[in-house]
Amino acid sequence: MIERQIELRVNGQSFTILVKPQDLLVDVLRDQLGFTGTKKGCGTGECGACTILLDGKPVNSCLMPALRARNKDIITIEGLGTPEHLHPLQQAFIENAAVQCGFCAPGMLLSAKALLDANSHPTETEIRQAISGNLCRCTGYAKIVQAVKAAAQAMTQGDGNP
Amino acid sequence: MPSFEYSTPTTVDQAIALLNQSGASALAGGTDLLIHLRAGIVAPKQLVDLSALDLNYVRKDDGIIRIGAMTTFAEILDSDVVRRDLPCLAESAAEIGAVQTRNMATLGGNLCSAVPSADSAPPLLVYDARVKIAGSDGERLVPLEQFFVGPKKNALKPGELLIEIQASVPLPRTGARFLKLGRRKAMSLAVVNVAARLTLGQDHRRVENVRIALGAVAPTPRRAKRAESVLQGSDVSESLIDRAARAAADEIAPISDLRATATFRRESSRVLVKRALTHAWQMATGETKPND
Repeated sequence: MIERQIELRVNGQSFTILVKPQDLLVDVLRDQLGFTGTKKGCGTGECGACTILLDGKPVNSCLMPALRARNKDIITIEGLGTPEHLHPLQQAFIENAAVQCGFCAPGMLLSAKALLDANSHPTETEIRQAISGNLCRCTGYAKIVQAVKAAAQAMTQGDGNP
Repeated sequence: MPSFEYSTPTTVDQAIALLNQSGASALAGGTDLLIHLRAGIVAPKQLVDLSALDLNYVRKDDGIIRIGAMTTFAEILDSDVVRRDLPCLAESAAEIGAVQTRNMATLGGNLCSAVPSADSAPPLLVYDARVKIAGSDGERLVPLEQFFVGPKKNALKPGELLIEIQASVPLPRTGARFLKLGRRKAMSLAVVNVAARLTLGQDHRRVENVRIALGAVAPTPRRAKRAESVLQGSDVSESLIDRAARAAADEIAPISDLRATATFRRESSRVLVKRALTHAWQMATGETKPND
């Protein structure tokens, strides 16, 4: 199959790469571009570990041909904060012990970011709905919900570096 | 994953020309197709990506609501027109998958999948929706009821494309409700899904028009016409709704599978039809608003 040269915009940076039509976005992000923060879990759009933001919206990168992500803005977990300046959500996940094994955390954080970008004061129900496509087998979700609430509070009080 | 060609046409005519080539398959939101590709259930030679077509819209003109086939469920949920005029469709959109699924999956894709549990089907059936199909010989309009021809089988001929979903703005004194029973709150396939619409006469009692549709309880999403006839033309009452719900449970043909037994599906259908009709009745008389 003929490879095509495409440009992907990931975390504000442009990459020119060769992809085949059957290459999935999750594999291209991880294997070609090294954004291994994006996890591949079920591969069938159920678990949300591969969640990325496409033009600001959470999508499952395991169900998307890389060709389809052309001309879109992709945000992966690597684009959320830096080790020196964590995103308030990342800070809140640490402070509230919302991460155990960590496999779901990248997708969970990006789903939470999309929620807070659209709704700065979510209710608990809205938080639970926003992360309902992200499975966590460790935490039981309580600490994650608590962390998202804390991040929302920190961000609206101007505390932290969004 | 097996290899295939990939094209991104920018007009419906181009898309149809490509879909007429052998082994071509349309790619809408991809939330079903990509899974089937990986599992080897389908093996197209070419994917025709529909995302660059101008099929992403919700419009209302002359009392007709037109929804482009590539409109995602997230966009349907965000649409003021859908929430106001077709609230039952918005209720079903909210029940589909999770946020990620709704940002990708499209209304046209859900209907074309023609699975018995397709959540958008019962609401559109109760709104008497039509689907606009484009092919090399032009366009045709098909009642949605005739679009589902069997489990995972739709009425599209090879090389045809579903491009638009149409529904008329409901009359005044109309209420409608979608209810879904799943095994969990998100990412769940329906055990049973039900939609009901009631339009009352000027006396706020007589049933001018009624539609009841169910999913996951027959080879295709389907209307419960015997249940509708229990209500049609009569004065609505609790006991009549009860009778209609029993009639609906009698006329469906559920199967037992890993999600539920046939018996459970039948009894759940009765309960959901009763609840949906009761809510639709309250909404039609102005006692409750959409999405309450």
